[in-house]
Amino acid sequence: MTSTAEASRSLLLDPAFMARLDQLDIMSRKILAGKLKGERRSKRRGQSVEFADYRNYVVGDDLRFIDWNVYARLDRLFLKLFLEEEDLALYVLVDMSKSCDYGEPNKARYIKQVAAALGYIGLVNYNRVVVAAMAEGITAETGALRGRRRVAQLIDFIDRLQPQGASHFASACKRFALAHRQKGVCVVLSDFFDKGGYENGLRYVAGGKYDLFSVQILSPQEIEPDLQGDLKLKDMEDNDTAEVSITQPLLKQYKANLNAYCLSLKEYVTRRGGTYLFTSTAVPFDTLVLNYLRERGLLG
Amino acid sequence: MNWLPRFLNVWPAVVAAAVAIPALLVLYFLKLRRHELPVSSTLLWKKAIQDLQVNAPFQRLRKNLLLLLQLLLLLLLLLALARPITFFTPGAGKNTVILIDRSASMQAADIDGRTRLDEARRRAKALVESMSRGGNAMVIAFDDRAETVQRWTSDTVALKNAIDSIKPTDRKSRLKQAYQLAEAQVNFNPEQLRANVEPPDVFLFSDGRVLDESELSIKGNVIYEQIGTERAGNIAIVSLSARRNYERPTEVQVFARFANYGPEPVNADVELWVSPIDPADPSTDSFQNRGAAVVRLVPERWDEQKRTEMEKQGVVAKDSVEFTLELTTAAVIRVEQKLKAGDMLPADDAAQVVLPPPKMLSVLLVTDGNYYLERAIHSLNLKDPAITPPGQYEAKIPTDYDVIIFDRYSPQQLPPSGNFVYFGGLGPNLKLKPVTDHNVPVMLSEVGVLDWNRDHPILRHLSLSRLYAAEAVKLDVPIESEVLIEGTKGPLVVLHREGRSMHLVVAFDVMQSNWPLRVSFPMFLYNSLQFMALGAEMNVRQSLEPGATPRIPRAILQRVDANLKSIRLNGPGLSRELPIPQSGDFALPPLDHVGVYRLDPIIPQFERIAVNLLDENESNLLPVSGRAPGNIGQAIATTGGKSRLELWWWLVAFGAIPLLLLEWWVYTRRVHL
Repeated sequence: MTSTAEASRSLLLDPAFMARLDQLDIMSRKILAGKLKGERRSKRRGQSVEFADYRNYVVGDDLRFIDWNVYARLDRLFLKLFLEEEDLALYVLVDMSKSCDYGEPNKARYIKQVAAALGYIGLVNYNRVVVAAMAEGITAETGALRGRRRVAQLIDFIDRLQPQGASHFASACKRFALAHRQKGVCVVLSDFFDKGGYENGLRYVAGGKYDLFSVQILSPQEIEPDLQGDLKLKDMEDNDTAEVSITQPLLKQYKANLNAYCLSLKEYVTRRGGTYLFTSTAVPFDTLVLNYLRERGLLG
Repeated sequence: MNWLPRFLNVWPAVVAAAVAIPALLVLYFLKLRRHELPVSSTLLWKKAIQDLQVNAPFQRLRKNLLLLLQLLLLLLLLLALARPITFFTPGAGKNTVILIDRSASMQAADIDGRTRLDEARRRAKALVESMSRGGNAMVIAFDDRAETVQRWTSDTVALKNAIDSIKPTDRKSRLKQAYQLAEAQVNFNPEQLRANVEPPDVFLFSDGRVLDESELSIKGNVIYEQIGTERAGNIAIVSLSARRNYERPTEVQVFARFANYGPEPVNADVELWVSPIDPADPSTDSFQNRGAAVVRLVPERWDEQKRTEMEKQGVVAKDSVEFTLELTTAAVIRVEQKLKAGDMLPADDAAQVVLPPPKMLSVLLVTDGNYYLERAIHSLNLKDPAITPPGQYEAKIPTDYDVIIFDRYSPQQLPPSGNFVYFGGLGPNLKLKPVTDHNVPVMLSEVGVLDWNRDHPILRHLSLSRLYAAEAVKLDVPIESEVLIEGTKGPLVVLHREGRSMHLVVAFDVMQSNWPLRVSFPMFLYNSLQFMALGAEMNVRQSLEPGATPRIPRAILQRVDANLKSIRLNGPGLSRELPIPQSGDFALPPLDHVGVYRLDPIIPQFERIAVNLLDENESNLLPVSGRAPGNIGQAIATTGGKSRLELWWWLVAFGAIPLLLLEWWVYTRRVHL
């Protein structure tokens, strides 16, 4: 490791925190098959016959694994899950559009820290980790990484990411989904402020092969704007402007719209089987990783 | 006081306003310079703006609120730049005397439909309101007499009630007594007796038309608040008399003179109304129109030059009227001018006089024989003229003749009252007496006429230059007597009043002169009897001035009813039962208002009592302005006497600065609006 890399790495993750991350592992509600045998147990019928758990039946599942006793009791369809060791792909999509270079604490840095933490956890547990940067499409990607030996490379990659360009969430997700057909946990770290809408993009990563975790990260200045006067707001991505005279009603309306936007995003993700989490950069990222992501089932 | 401020700096302020206000509006509505602020995304901001435009009116209101505040602020600053000023009357000091004029002229309604007295009361009450804590005031009402309506007090309610209680009268104005009363009341205030105490403020609420300006003095700070306007118009009757023809007593001549106290010449209709007093039913009035005329009146305020100028233009004044009518009974005669439009004082629009019934003079000639006098007496239209020798006169002093003529005889006694003419004699115990030398009257010989009083009614139109008397008594004339004819060596004819009698003394024997042969002799006799007739009820009790207290002789009361206990007095706005004193004459209370008064029961010679204003000073409504009456104190009718208060700093301190703070607050806190 170069000194530069060491220095950069120290900005994103500190050793004490990394030591705590060693205790964690990537989890998934869905036990998914991996290409290589890793430390992950998959649901796919394989050599193991160890019964692990139930899950709700969804259309397309193999009917042979329906637990008819449970159905008789509860009148609901459940699938038996069997345990089998298998690797888990962890895909981390980080939003590196210009809009993320905003706020105090900075959103882009926050995203990179979370991505670095998740990537580290994935690597130390021998999961296949892919980190891709989104802006106008996929602007950078690590390729599939596995093992502790790749931690420095990962962190170095993440650290070098710079927010730039406009956000084209839909094309980035589409391209990513086409390039990575293996199922896995897909964590999207973004503010989801795309004027083209988030729906088209999420459609590619929600449901189906990915266990989607959408983490919406906003800065306190976006959540509770402390603005006054007559302003010309300039969009950092497309230089679009909005002339506003800040008033209480305007702020109130903005917050209402923000809440509605976030709620709408949450509903969209949840309806497609994903998990939505909202956070502010004011929340320390280690708290997010160690507490919230664990509560929501991404980490365990 | 006009509460609207004036401005010292109008035009600079107007110019500044013409520049600043449009500039503010233009700047406000021009596109605002906005501070550019990068944000992560305008996505939600634009949506918020869009959603908020549904509530656009409120946004416009907020925007306009700032504009409004800034406009107000600018207006206040511009007003301050214009340096507004106002004039204020100093309020009441520690001790204040309030004098309120309630005379006839204060009834002029020339202040927005309110009378001058109403205005005086209003201002006086405002003054009371301005009294400081612990301040004292008193209220005096005056016309031709003064009355304390409220003594020293700090009770403002009592003061205001006293002011409200002041009622108008038709009386004239005299200020001297009011000043004297005020001074006396001030001296009565123990506080004023201390040394180094500031004299009280004396506020005089009046139009200044007082009769005794030259006699005024007072210790105090007099502040004259002029009441009344200079545009007040008034047509007034200033003189009225009705006279029976001495020779034909049923013929009555009525003379009236008018004056115009307005600013413009006017023509006014005049009507004559007569109400005969029927002896059988003296309590009933029945006015009938007996004549009409027109007067052309030029304003009294015009000077001679102006009058001459207008006469050349055909504006010639005719300010008097004369009516002749037949009246066989006593009557009330009323003359009224009918031009009411613009006339501010109704009290002088009409006047009435009471005319006694026609009566022929009864004359007694006391003589031992005088051909000329006897012929002259008989030639006059007298009621049974009598001639008696002196002895018979002294045996029984007659009391029921209008005039007694003594010819070459000085009576030992006279009736208690009467009119007496002496030719070569004198009455007993008079102040007018002959000059004596060792108790012998000094005689002047060969006396001609030096001069005579040509304006006197007795001597009017007489030529006396060739009068000659062989001998005349030298008279010691007291100062109060009137010398009618001055001879070359001493007074020849003197008119002397003493007690209730009138004495006309001719200092020579007419038979020792050439007078009886001259035309002037019978005319002199005629004029003398006519003049004496004025004191013999031919024209008596015509009218009284407001405030008069006519006295009814007890003898006349007793003729009505010996046991009369009370009399009811009815008149303009008045009906009072008056107890009659047990002895002495009966004086009526002051008759303060113009009009005709009646007594019940009817008292002979007092069937009607007429009270008229007939006063040029009171009818002249032009207020005294620019100075206080008698030039005592300061007048505050004009701005010169008032204090000037600049208002600009009030506008800045209490208007502009708070507005500025409010505008700043609205601007900075408007995020919370």
